[in-house]
Amino acid sequence: MQNVVFGLVTGSILAIASVGFALVRQTENFLNIAHGQLLALGAFVGVVLVTEHSVNIYVAGAISMVAVGVFGLLLAILVFEPVRERGGTVLLFTSIGLALVLEAVMIAWFGTGIRLYRISFGEQHEIGDVVITTGEIVIVALTAVTVLSLQLFLRRTRLGRSVRAVASNADLARVRGVSARTVSATVWFVSAALAAMAGVMLGVLTSVNTEMGWHNILIILAAAVLGGLGSIYGVLVAGLVLGIVMDVSALYIDTSYRSVVAFGLLVLVLLVRPEGIFTLRRRQEATV
Amino acid sequence: MTSVVFWVGVLTLVGFYGILAMILNMEGGWGGMWDLGTAGLLAVASYFFVIVTLDDAMLGTRFAPGWPLWLAWPASAVFTGIVAFLVSLPALRLRREYFLITTFAFAEIIRQLIVVQDDLTRGVIGFSGLDRPFDDVVTGRDYNYVLLGLVAIGVVVVFLITRVVARSSFGLLLRAARDNEALALSLGRKVNRMRRETFVLAGVLIGAVAPLYLWYIRAVTPQLFAPAVTFTAWSALVLGGLGSIAGPILGAFLLIVFTEAVGLVDWSPDQANLATALEPFLVGMLLIVVLRVRPQGLLGERGAFRRATRRDRSDDATEPPANDALPAPAMSTPRSG
Amino acid sequence: MELVVQSVAKHFGGVAALDDVSLRASQGAITALIGPNGAGKTTLFNAMTGFAKADKGTIHFGDVRLDRLTPWQVARHGVIRTFQTPVGFPSLTVLENMFAAGAPHAAASVASVLRFRAMRAEARTSADRAKQLLRELQLWDLRDRYVDELSTGDRKLLEFARQLMMHPRVLLLDEPAAGVAPSYVDRLAEVIRSLRTERGISCVVIDHNLAFIMQIADHIHVLDRGRLIASGTPKEIADNADVMRIYVGSSAVAS
Repeated sequence: MQNVVFGLVTGSILAIASVGFALVRQTENFLNIAHGQLLALGAFVGVVLVTEHSVNIYVAGAISMVAVGVFGLLLAILVFEPVRERGGTVLLFTSIGLALVLEAVMIAWFGTGIRLYRISFGEQHEIGDVVITTGEIVIVALTAVTVLSLQLFLRRTRLGRSVRAVASNADLARVRGVSARTVSATVWFVSAALAAMAGVMLGVLTSVNTEMGWHNILIILAAAVLGGLGSIYGVLVAGLVLGIVMDVSALYIDTSYRSVVAFGLLVLVLLVRPEGIFTLRRRQEATV
Repeated sequence: MTSVVFWVGVLTLVGFYGILAMILNMEGGWGGMWDLGTAGLLAVASYFFVIVTLDDAMLGTRFAPGWPLWLAWPASAVFTGIVAFLVSLPALRLRREYFLITTFAFAEIIRQLIVVQDDLTRGVIGFSGLDRPFDDVVTGRDYNYVLLGLVAIGVVVVFLITRVVARSSFGLLLRAARDNEALALSLGRKVNRMRRETFVLAGVLIGAVAPLYLWYIRAVTPQLFAPAVTFTAWSALVLGGLGSIAGPILGAFLLIVFTEAVGLVDWSPDQANLATALEPFLVGMLLIVVLRVRPQGLLGERGAFRRATRRDRSDDATEPPANDALPAPAMSTPRSG
Repeated sequence: MELVVQSVAKHFGGVAALDDVSLRASQGAITALIGPNGAGKTTLFNAMTGFAKADKGTIHFGDVRLDRLTPWQVARHGVIRTFQTPVGFPSLTVLENMFAAGAPHAAASVASVLRFRAMRAEARTSADRAKQLLRELQLWDLRDRYVDELSTGDRKLLEFARQLMMHPRVLLLDEPAAGVAPSYVDRLAEVIRSLRTERGISCVVIDHNLAFIMQIADHIHVLDRGRLIASGTPKEIADNADVMRIYVGSSAVAS
């Protein structure tokens, strides 16, 4: 049971990271591999603020989110916008290139060492036979609040509805007068900010180093694909499930198999879900 | 450090990545399979090769059969082909980005397994100081030339193989299926089977090439097979021209020479981070820039195949005349109804 | 051999794309499928050729059950289809497009690259046949061009030529006259009729161009919203007020 709680915490972080990724996939139609590096960047900005400038963790987190959010938007304009029409594959490989460049920049600036937030997690609480610290509760609570706010934004605000329109049918949305530019900018900002948030949380929970980006992008991909790439709640659930599966499996198998379990699950689901086969059929009928 | 030996080493690396890029060109360029699992298969081949040639169980592993080179080399190629086949079973049921994710996932799974199964692989420590062919005959710096020679042979062999495949009917069908899978299927082509065979062939070739990489690095650890290897190979391919025949080797040459040449700069110790950052930076920038400025790479596919077919069919008519005029319609029939 | 569709149904989400459709396409005849957009015609083609699975019903060609087969299996039984948009194989020249269809099935295996002599002989046969077909359809001069350099009419003719390389027994033509210049339309009609008379190939044709259909069809089936609403000779259909009402109501052209 304790492991389920651990899983809930890691799953929450994963969910935050993956929701932004899925959002970009839905509206911009490609897999942004650089997302993992934005997560790492968020973690670094946060840790520098906290350890070198004694900023409060929550403030640092907020600053990191805004800074990385804006940065992500700038990158999208500079790097992705010019090759927009070239199709998903070109964008995918461009994002790989960007991920490499970002990694390089972070290595050059922050060095390859591991950094720690050294934040106290607060006191431990006992609920039944499970122990959880304040910090972990905060992470889960923040995730819940963020997801709910995001849902509200997408459903209740005009901008949010525009985003959803573009996500489900870009051409139709354009015809209806939805500004593609605004939607794009919003999505990029939100996606990067969420990545940063996940980065800070992950950094606080574990540590910060320049390998974080590559290390996590695959599991983020897994959660986003499992969650169906389309619905926020789906990705949230997928993230939580993956987190729990990984941590619970540690009870039965060697903990080093953690990621193998996750990736194995990903492959399994990709095969069973009609999504994979459906995509082929769809494309067959589309080439028709 | 601009000694000849340095450049010999660079050329060896060029050859190695050129081979990888040519293999990727075959499966990704002509076959349309975005395979991000190259490093994984390379790891499988490398570890298999090292383990079966081990003859000293005292190194802390439980498996040391001590096979001779002439057996281990082809065996590693076959074994990698088998692993590629197994990976293809789930992977080829998916398309595009799902295929890509799956191959990427498999590469990471393989790497994790290698780290975990340390009674077989010595985990993160790996093996070092590996034996190499002709080791006792040629020593020291001169060995670099031997290695370059071996790699050069590898380049020529793989080049010929991929060229034969490209210009064959099989190659044509593969490219057709990549262009329009539904149409190829409607012409009775077993697209999945063609792709599987290509993927397995790629696995076999990677398995055959792995020992060269091992002898160059003289060690094998899981960190050597990070995604960076796959991305470098893909970058070389994209730069040189996806789908062209000579593109991969050209791209590898430019990419590797460029990145290694920068290593010539004398870094001071506190610039160590910059030095580490340089390679991913250059590879990444090249990828971004080439995809933006000339996405078809330096040598496009159409050009390559046009030249090839023209040469083959020199007996037929030459340049076709411009034919924009509508031909005379057939005799019109009385409208019924 | 007849193509027999029996009580075929297909649902997408809650919508019935096909609802209890039964029809026959006789050997050597040109059977037409008409109906407004969304009537389910292409869905039926997809069900016939293994690109979609029918939820109910059966499709037979002779005594072979087509609805159980994958697309390449359907093709190997001689049931060949064209696609609405003649995309073709964009990175191949016109002649290579023909080869993609004409290459022997053995060529679809990596091992075939080693059988140089046998492959070369097959390539010769295939090349001769391609040449003959391209000349017949007046595409020979364009053989080194790429598909995107061709006019729509020529692309449609290339679709024919390519599918003919397969020695088809039944051709399923999906909107062959769509987007084609009027002068080409007559030529296409001529080609389709000759398929029947000279080669004995059965054809099932979908199109919105009613005049075109009336020119070539021996028998017409009318679909509307997934249901078969009328069947008959061109004259009978032309006299059918219900059918004509559907057509005048939709954006189809009845010149």
